[in-house]
Amino acid sequence: MKFVSLLVPAAILAAGVSLSASAETLTAVPGQPLQVVLDGAQDGDVIELGVGEYKGAIRIDRRLVLAGQPGVVLTGTGSGNVVTVTAPDVTIRGVTIRGSGRNLQTMDSGVFLEKTAERALVEDNRLEGNLFGVYVHGATGSRVLRNTIDGLRDGRTSEAGNGVSLWNAPDVTIGENTIRYGRDGIFTISSRKDRFVNNRFEHVRFAIHYMYTSDSEISGNVSIGNHVGYAIMFSNRLVIRNNVSDRDRDHGMLLNSANYAEIDGNRVTGGRIDNIEVTRDDSADAEPGMPPVEQSREGQRNGPEKCVFIYNANKNRFRNNWFERCEIGVHFTAGSEGNEITGNAFIGNRNQVKYVGTRDLDWSKGGRGNYWSDNPAFDLNGDGIADTAYRPNDVVDRVLWTAPQAKVLINSPAVQVLRWAQAQFPALYPGGVIDSRPLIAPPPKPTSSRSLK
Amino acid sequence: MKVAWQVMVDGNLDNVDADYQGKYAFATCYNSENGVTLAEMTANEQDWVVIFNIKRIEEAVKKGDFKEMKGVPVIDGRKGSKYTRYVPVSNSPHGMNTAPDGIHIVAAGKLSPTVTVMDVRLFDQLFDDKIKPRDVVVAEPELGLGPLHTAYDGKGNAYTTLFLDSQVVKWNIDLARRAFKGEKVDPILQKLDVHYQPGHNHTSMGQTKEADGKWLISLNKFSKDRFLNVGPLKPENDQLIDISGDKMVLIHDGPSFAEPHDATIVHRSKINPVSIWDRADPMFADAVKQAKADGIKLEDDSKVIRDGNKVRVYMTSTAPAFGLEQFQVKQGDQVTVYVTNIDAVEDLTHGFAIVNYGINMEVGPMATASVTFSADRAGVYWYYCSWFCHAMHMEMKGRMFVEPKTA
Repeated sequence: MKFVSLLVPAAILAAGVSLSASAETLTAVPGQPLQVVLDGAQDGDVIELGVGEYKGAIRIDRRLVLAGQPGVVLTGTGSGNVVTVTAPDVTIRGVTIRGSGRNLQTMDSGVFLEKTAERALVEDNRLEGNLFGVYVHGATGSRVLRNTIDGLRDGRTSEAGNGVSLWNAPDVTIGENTIRYGRDGIFTISSRKDRFVNNRFEHVRFAIHYMYTSDSEISGNVSIGNHVGYAIMFSNRLVIRNNVSDRDRDHGMLLNSANYAEIDGNRVTGGRIDNIEVTRDDSADAEPGMPPVEQSREGQRNGPEKCVFIYNANKNRFRNNWFERCEIGVHFTAGSEGNEITGNAFIGNRNQVKYVGTRDLDWSKGGRGNYWSDNPAFDLNGDGIADTAYRPNDVVDRVLWTAPQAKVLINSPAVQVLRWAQAQFPALYPGGVIDSRPLIAPPPKPTSSRSLK
Repeated sequence: MKVAWQVMVDGNLDNVDADYQGKYAFATCYNSENGVTLAEMTANEQDWVVIFNIKRIEEAVKKGDFKEMKGVPVIDGRKGSKYTRYVPVSNSPHGMNTAPDGIHIVAAGKLSPTVTVMDVRLFDQLFDDKIKPRDVVVAEPELGLGPLHTAYDGKGNAYTTLFLDSQVVKWNIDLARRAFKGEKVDPILQKLDVHYQPGHNHTSMGQTKEADGKWLISLNKFSKDRFLNVGPLKPENDQLIDISGDKMVLIHDGPSFAEPHDATIVHRSKINPVSIWDRADPMFADAVKQAKADGIKLEDDSKVIRDGNKVRVYMTSTAPAFGLEQFQVKQGDQVTVYVTNIDAVEDLTHGFAIVNYGINMEVGPMATASVTFSADRAGVYWYYCSWFCHAMHMEMKGRMFVEPKTA
């Protein structure tokens, strides 16, 4: 890329910066060492970058705004970070940032916010091919907004970095970013009071890999075709709302030791996923009452395996979510207790509920349960609630799994008689989940905050 | 026990194993940060596996390249030392298990859904600085959430516990190596649910080169609702899995008291302990020596020896009687009771308890056991056999008279 310094007559080159108490706008041009400009600036200054290519790495150790524009490219040395921020209240805006190192041990990043870089604002940048896009390493109150982050495309996933990594930094917002390639989209550990909103993830391992970060919000994110959409673990009092998982491979959403959460209006949809040759066979894992796992044809596989996996997750409010076309709608186990599960739609999952437990649970509350697409019940009084309770995985389901064409008979008298007979002999029921007030029509399908295309 | 040597390292040391060549040992480190809070311990993106070169360390001990601390030679194995190498792996690894093939070792990711497979045949080159630390990694498959420990069937397959997914995943080491090289193969062969949240696991003979590929035990940390509710403290659940076929099959749930933590499975032919103690066993050599000094024959004599304010009470036990039906000491005496079980009968164990003196011990067939206490309370105290031994076990008792000081 060429640069034209004539277009910036007001350029104040680093050596000539006069010291002044009031904030100034400095202009940097390509070809001049950017670090020198930074070192000549004072707290509060704005450094505008003229179009062109700049050589990194740089270190920002005072309160500055680094303002780029389309065509501003900052390239690191291929070793360490491209931008390291140590001062508080720094803004980095509108810059294309490339060329971090590839050393995981030193956490080489496009932008690395050190603990002292509190309240940093990293917005509208393009981070391309860095090991980590943005690493928030203890920088409390930072915001990472509207960036496009494309991680490493080549090499092994386990040796790549994350789009945004967060460690021990409360009050951070990571919003409206588009994150692709690399290891995980957003990885967080040992933090709290953070917000991850309206981000979009593709071609990563886990969209959000979430460990021990309580009192936080995960809303409006979109995960497409990743290994796992939202892996939420060991965190309390989260708000998880309006997220979308579209054809993720293993789990749309996974809740493991996540307690007291509000999980509302999320949507997980499955479908055919491209995948490598599948050699595994899960049929030995079949529980009584579970359908045989379909033998996958080479190169073809449906995902995700589980729309939502609820494992030792307790006292959550789980409402108005939409789970469609997964191998398993909800896998519920490990003594998860005290969860309210109402107003959700379970649509066309091969196995609506996999329940492993011995307690009897009723997934309805206040006269309202969930919508089950395979529920053959009637609603003769027209109150929107089916006249009979819904039991997932009953004998009829097993007939349907083994002979899907029987589905056309689902409201036939023969099926009704079989269900009636089963109701007289409860020992036939394999599971302990019942929905005593199933909905006759699905609740509204949650919309997506970001494009699914 | 004599400590032959110790090695000072960077970071901490978690699980350790050794290779079958006897050349190397290796351990995971989850606190390379030297953090003292949880947040500090998770600050680094990567921790490591530290490899110890046993031959070089033993040469260092011979040559004197160590600091002696409390009589132990301590070698400096911190980064940059020729005695160790540090292989970076994802933050917070845990289990470290050597495969029976003598070639592969597997470090489990814990916070990373991967395990790191290393080839011990490359370690010589690593210590000779011909390759870089990560070059010993030959596979790093993504297995699932929370991999903790790995067991082996001796047929090239590995079985890793997934704490968070609550599964055992069966995977093939060779497929994992091929996938690492870029081939489009899935090393995962099967995932089996276990109940719930497994930690350690082991296969039959899997910690030796004779892994037989028959059984796997998964030691699960939570049983939750698997057994009848016995109150707030639930048993753990050790599950037995048949791995002899193509697929793992869950065979049995076994409750165990909190918490055994780890186990091993070896063929019964490998375990041949004695049933009856050898009188020459060092376990009670001190008692034998003291008895000799006192002119006592432990297997025959039941006598009280006074030595100032120290009193040694010797007695035999043979069901259903102790050699002494009573003995007398003075308040304030330091009393040692030696009990020798002269019932040379398999599984005939005695106990010796003194009421209200907080004393209870087990005495196996042909063993001598002893206990020392201060007879600081006067009065009559029953002692009795506390291990069921005989039809008249209840009658197997005697009295200790503690004479008051002022009397």
